[in-house]
Amino acid sequence: MRRFKASVLILLCVLLTSLAAPAQKKKNGAAKPATPRIVVEPIDTDALKNLLTQQRQQPLLVNFWATFCDPCRDEFPDLVKIDKEYRPQSLEFVTVSLDDMADIKTSVPEFLHSMKATMPAYLLNASDPEPAINVVDPAWRGDLPATYLYNEKGEIVYKHIGRVKPEELRNAIEKLVKKGE
Amino acid sequence: MKTRNLSILLALVFVIAGVAYANEVPGPPAIGSTIEDFTLPDANGLDRSLKSLAGPNGTVLLFVSVQCPVSNAYNERMEKLAQDYKAKGIAVVGINSNVAENADAVRGHAAENKLSFPILKDSGNKIADKLGASVTPEAYFLDAKNKLLYHGRIDNSRNAAQVESSDLRNALDAALGGKPIEKAEAKAFGCSIKRG
Repeated sequence: MRRFKASVLILLCVLLTSLAAPAQKKKNGAAKPATPRIVVEPIDTDALKNLLTQQRQQPLLVNFWATFCDPCRDEFPDLVKIDKEYRPQSLEFVTVSLDDMADIKTSVPEFLHSMKATMPAYLLNASDPEPAINVVDPAWRGDLPATYLYNEKGEIVYKHIGRVKPEELRNAIEKLVKKGE
Repeated sequence: MKTRNLSILLALVFVIAGVAYANEVPGPPAIGSTIEDFTLPDANGLDRSLKSLAGPNGTVLLFVSVQCPVSNAYNERMEKLAQDYKAKGIAVVGINSNVAENADAVRGHAAENKLSFPILKDSGNKIADKLGASVTPEAYFLDAKNKLLYHGRIDNSRNAAQVESSDLRNALDAALGGKPIEKAEAKAFGCSIKRG
């Protein structure tokens, strides 16, 4: 009788464990929806120039950064918030990494993924960054991070070199985005 | 009276804000200006003046870092530069202005990477501010009288295999040959100097 009771108890434990495992897996899956994998596209100096100067339907915010740049990494959570806040109001936001091309499938998308960043991401594909820096802004010395806001005509209306000041950037964006859209 | 006080206060706020912004990365001296002598401790704690380290034909000041991957990508090139131009009378002097990298770290990094040129520790980033250095690596070439002849990058690429324009070497060779430097400024690219 005692042996029968023990067998029933073991059977119950096995049954409960097998039922609980998929439920736990499902619960974990539901709690953490996967952030879409970031694909970082290469961009050369000419393509960057086109991106920045073309006329468009909405204002464009561009952040130049690199994984080796501490203030760039520090400011990223603020930028992700700003993207989420103003994308529904027709702000186009792209990031341009100045990391090495070798990092395009590794550290750059990995960092963006960890930040839950979903804006289009580029990596400058130029052995010489100077022409690209001059295309962006001849007055920019190439220090990172650098953040530029362009209006619909492709004109720079705001720039900040160094860690972004979120409220200052928000104020600049507010002047451009179409309220309520 | 109250309005006047408020105006003065507002003006002061704007001036202070402007100065604070401007102080984030001061502008570099103009090409042709003379750099005053300065003294900084080396990685062993010994005070070294620019005058005592200068080469008979000039000095290259290189702002460097222990941790920056861009600066580290240049370690071999910087050492070779120092060796190549030592015989030509130009001294290479490194300066580390990063607040988070102390003299021990600078000394260990130099030994590990076989950097034979002196590296000075610029605590409080006074010399970085004076020269308007913003990134690592960033180079300044001074002639024998400390006149600034070149400022900017070492070359065009952190990847040694992709170097197409050796701007710093071109400047040194031109000066040694008594020729004008065609490109006296080229934007340096690297990690921001972490100021204290």
